[in-house]
Amino acid sequence: MKYLVTDDSKLARLSLIKSLKSQVGDAEIFQATNGFEAIEIMQKEKVDIVFLDLTMPEMNGYEALPKLLEINNKAKIVVVSADVQVQAKQRVIELGAQLHVQKPINVEKMQELLEII
Amino acid sequence: MYNLTEDEKDVLQELMNVAYGSTTAVVADMLDAFASLSIPNIEIMNVSQLLSNFHSLKNSSYFFATQTFNGEFNGESAFFIDETSVHNLATHLELESDDDLDDAILELTNILTSTLTTKLAHEMGTAVSYSLPCISKVPLEDIADVEAFQQYTQVIVIDTQLNFQDQKINGEIFILTKDDSIQWLKTKLNTILEELI
Repeated sequence: MKYLVTDDSKLARLSLIKSLKSQVGDAEIFQATNGFEAIEIMQKEKVDIVFLDLTMPEMNGYEALPKLLEINNKAKIVVVSADVQVQAKQRVIELGAQLHVQKPINVEKMQELLEII
Repeated sequence: MYNLTEDEKDVLQELMNVAYGSTTAVVADMLDAFASLSIPNIEIMNVSQLLSNFHSLKNSSYFFATQTFNGEFNGESAFFIDETSVHNLATHLELESDDDLDDAILELTNILTSTLTTKLAHEMGTAVSYSLPCISKVPLEDIADVEAFQQYTQVIVIDTQLNFQDQKINGEIFILTKDDSIQWLKTKLNTILEELI
């Protein structure tokens, strides 16, 4: 399995990767700091699960999400965001995300969401 | 003069992002509206620089509300909302009198600043207590006379926008802290990052 963690914050990436590694061990994990970088990685790698932040510079998660699915429509997109408004959750699901999860993701939450998807 | 490293800024920005996300959801629920979130801007600056930044704001008159918070992490939250947004808020909430409007701004400020600082403090493993918010309408040319700013020399400014596009309600939130709190904050931010590396 290949994973892609997309967030402009180093803290958010490190925190998510730590939780992810606790569940998937030495799986291949790529990192991107905005939508453009995520797209570049998706074009080169067959990523299975993408963790995607919404509020990012250059290209945000809303813009990146459909583009990532255009490249690989089998990839599962998990939106990991601080924006917990109902409309934000609805919008990302409409755009094709599998799940919307509130930041931060600890080990227990990661275990639960990997079981769900 | 304190400075924040890139890592410290990143950690604080992310904690603020998480705190602000929850805050926005509470306010969006209160206003029955959808807000767009922006990336918070974080800087340490002298108060004189902050005041000159305020002067660059476009509108000539702002409603200005502040609320003090106390604890290991302490300081003051300031919420600016321009007159146009205030009128749009009144229309949206179907308010008729100025008293009702003042009350709505105070309540909005109270929810915004207390939820934001509570969540931010929680993310940093501490807690804060509050004073009652106070509100005033300040022309920008008189902003330097606002008492709240006179007790600070150097402040950490966490600046984020409240933006309800459909209702055309925009505001700006600043969290101001003093030197002792900046030192506490720097230590805490580094501890949080070190625990992940």
